[in-house]
Amino acid sequence: MNYQKFELKNGLQLYVHTDKTTEMAVLNVLYRVGSRNEIPGKTGLAHYFEHLMFGGSQHVPSFDTAVERVGGECNAFTNTDITNYYISLPAVNIETAYWLESDRMLSLNLQEKTIENQREVVIEEFKQRYLNQPYGDAMHHVRELAFEKHSYQWPTIGKELADIENFTEADVADFYQSHYVPNNAILVVAGNIEASEALTLAEKWFGDIPARKMSKDAPPTEPVQCKKKTRTVQSDVPTDALYKVYHIPGRLMPGYLEADLITDVLGFGRSSLLEKKLVSNTDVFASCRAYVLGSIDPNLLIISGKMEKGHNAEDAEILLDQVIEEFKQSTISPKVLQKVKNQADAMKTYESVHLLNRAMKLAYYAHLGSPELYEEEYERKLKIKGETIIQTARELMTDENSSVVYYKRKTEDLAHTA
Amino acid sequence: MVNRSIAPGFKIPEQIAFTQPTKRTLKNGVPLYFISTPHLDVVKIEVIMPNNHPDYSPMRGLIPFFTLNMLLEGTHELTSDELDDFFDYYATEVEIVSGFEQQGLSLLTTKKHFREVLPVFRSLFTEATFPEKELAKRKSQKKLTIAIQQEQTGARANQLIRKALFGEMHPFGYISDEAHVDAVNRDAIKGYYATNFCVAPEIFVTGHITDREMQEIENQFNDLPFGEETSTSPSFETFDGKRITDLRPQSLQSSIRLGKILIPKSHSDYNALMVFNTTLGGYFGSRLIKNIREEKGYTYGISGLLGSLRSTDYWMILADVKKGFAEAAIDEVYKEIKLLAEVVLEKEELETVRNYMIGHFLSQFSNPFDLMGRFKKIHLQGLDYTYYEDQLRYIKSFDPSDILRIGKKYFDEESIKEIIVGA
Repeated sequence: MNYQKFELKNGLQLYVHTDKTTEMAVLNVLYRVGSRNEIPGKTGLAHYFEHLMFGGSQHVPSFDTAVERVGGECNAFTNTDITNYYISLPAVNIETAYWLESDRMLSLNLQEKTIENQREVVIEEFKQRYLNQPYGDAMHHVRELAFEKHSYQWPTIGKELADIENFTEADVADFYQSHYVPNNAILVVAGNIEASEALTLAEKWFGDIPARKMSKDAPPTEPVQCKKKTRTVQSDVPTDALYKVYHIPGRLMPGYLEADLITDVLGFGRSSLLEKKLVSNTDVFASCRAYVLGSIDPNLLIISGKMEKGHNAEDAEILLDQVIEEFKQSTISPKVLQKVKNQADAMKTYESVHLLNRAMKLAYYAHLGSPELYEEEYERKLKIKGETIIQTARELMTDENSSVVYYKRKTEDLAHTA
Repeated sequence: MVNRSIAPGFKIPEQIAFTQPTKRTLKNGVPLYFISTPHLDVVKIEVIMPNNHPDYSPMRGLIPFFTLNMLLEGTHELTSDELDDFFDYYATEVEIVSGFEQQGLSLLTTKKHFREVLPVFRSLFTEATFPEKELAKRKSQKKLTIAIQQEQTGARANQLIRKALFGEMHPFGYISDEAHVDAVNRDAIKGYYATNFCVAPEIFVTGHITDREMQEIENQFNDLPFGEETSTSPSFETFDGKRITDLRPQSLQSSIRLGKILIPKSHSDYNALMVFNTTLGGYFGSRLIKNIREEKGYTYGISGLLGSLRSTDYWMILADVKKGFAEAAIDEVYKEIKLLAEVVLEKEELETVRNYMIGHFLSQFSNPFDLMGRFKKIHLQGLDYTYYEDQLRYIKSFDPSDILRIGKKYFDEESIKEIIVGA
């Protein structure tokens, strides 16, 4: 992917990706802040704050209307590590996106009305996506069990509703002051625009936003786990589900790509080991998959599955453990390795279809250190040998490094007394 | 210092290039539509057929679903495992198209592997074997999906609004249950595959391919045997009452749905209806978002949509709202409909809706895969590009009094059905 890099005096990084085949453009701003930067009792703040960013700024009474009036659309997402905003619009109107994003970086309106209204909206989002869904809070349990110290112990939506209910205006203002500064942001402009024009506009709209010193409090380091941890949850769900997770290195640390490859072999696609051994060939698992969270700090390799009716999560774990043990004693055939490589290769092509995807990838890898990492990681991944993957599995996928949530269907008795 | 109080100027695109696919016809009469993607080494082939179910009944309602979903479970040449290994090895995605009106398969692969995977993809249309063991697994997986959907207030509400609008005897109103899963067997699937699957197919190709590769697609699909479409559009029967409620006291929210059957895309009021729906609930700046989310905080999201079926289109409002506020939210929807039908749009809102819709229009034609998607959408409804040209012209120039007229003509409160699932 072609791109040019610039840095403004205030520390704002600018990446420009020119694509003349489209009449659209995307302006994407990534702030290096997520639920990773939160503390207990104030969880969910990064995501809640993302909502407040749409509440207007000093010169923009209504952010959304201003985007829509020039034929654009906008949205944002927050995860553990970043908060990412984008505006997609006809390229001829790109300057409006600069105006809007720079104004809310410089002087966001934090009116009480917006703060209170979005508190209600986020609480409904919390319910809709996590509490009012079968298995919806499973990751709440998984994170809380697996992490003792690190802020990855709660999901980005927040640990519980009470935290959202209790945020004060001061919490919100503080959060804005400490994280929403040009030296903590990456600006990506992509689409039908020349790099020189993108830079001129960046200087014009973002150039006079002052840099601020940032407190770089790192989250507490997660101690090494020495003993298997388990938790049983009872809930109104149709069947049991099993979540078994292992601590793995952070996104840029040695061993991460190997862990990622473990999940490619174990759990990606219909031809994966878990699918074949546990789903197709037992009547215990209705589904089973494996993936890594891939966050900046040490995170998790997750295996999750739903049981067929009448089978319990504890028995399912025994079968899963057998497959993992076999895997740790096996060799990975050249054909399987080639498959994983073909998939990595194809994914690069598929991901490049949409302009917005390209803009977000560029911002994400810039945040990791450099857009070059995208290609470098791919090259490194392709060079990793089968023995190394198995060796990593032996080191990481041990019982003492595991946490297990048995998410169980409430038995009839319990259901009646509830 | 830049003066931030002055918004930058903007332009609204005058013209949008509606690039059309080229058409060719295979020897067997099957039409093939092609859009080239010279900058992307991807090939996508979609083979789409009408969902053809002449002897439709709820007990047989899942036969098309299982037929489609069993296609990858084995052919005369390759077992289920071998098929999975094959497509995954070449990083190729074969997707089942199992809709209410269309069925078929789509292939997404890279230019590099295209020639290897094409013949195997082709074999799925005539060589599937439907083994018993895999069918049993699929059936129990489907039962679990049904059980989970039953628990989800949103999924349940979607089922009920479709049932209210179309009735259980219509494929779109049909709600599957475990007994319907049990009723599926291998013979019924094989029968459907033999006579109702390869019917009146059309092929849509998007990708970076040479003439020679196009020739290979033609060679592969030239001999695809297929039948004439026999089923007519099924008739629907709308629920007599006003509201269906599924009370769940433990639930933290209520999923509400409002809806009614409306005019097809070919109707002269359709473009005006689209603007009406967008203004009411079709974008983030809509009346419903502003009122029910941003003013009252009843919900994370509320939206209005116009859905398409071949015979008719329908309109729906969807939201999951705070426990105890379902009635209040529904009242507000009617209030907003009434306002749109009685008070003419102010200049500023008119400009916002117009420009948003034009920009959104442009964004939907911005890459080759989108272009094919746009083409399929109208083509499968028997329309051509004048549909988009007229629509763009309408959005640019409509008179706001037209929106009042639509509100009065189509949105009588009595005619709208309501669903509440939850607390």
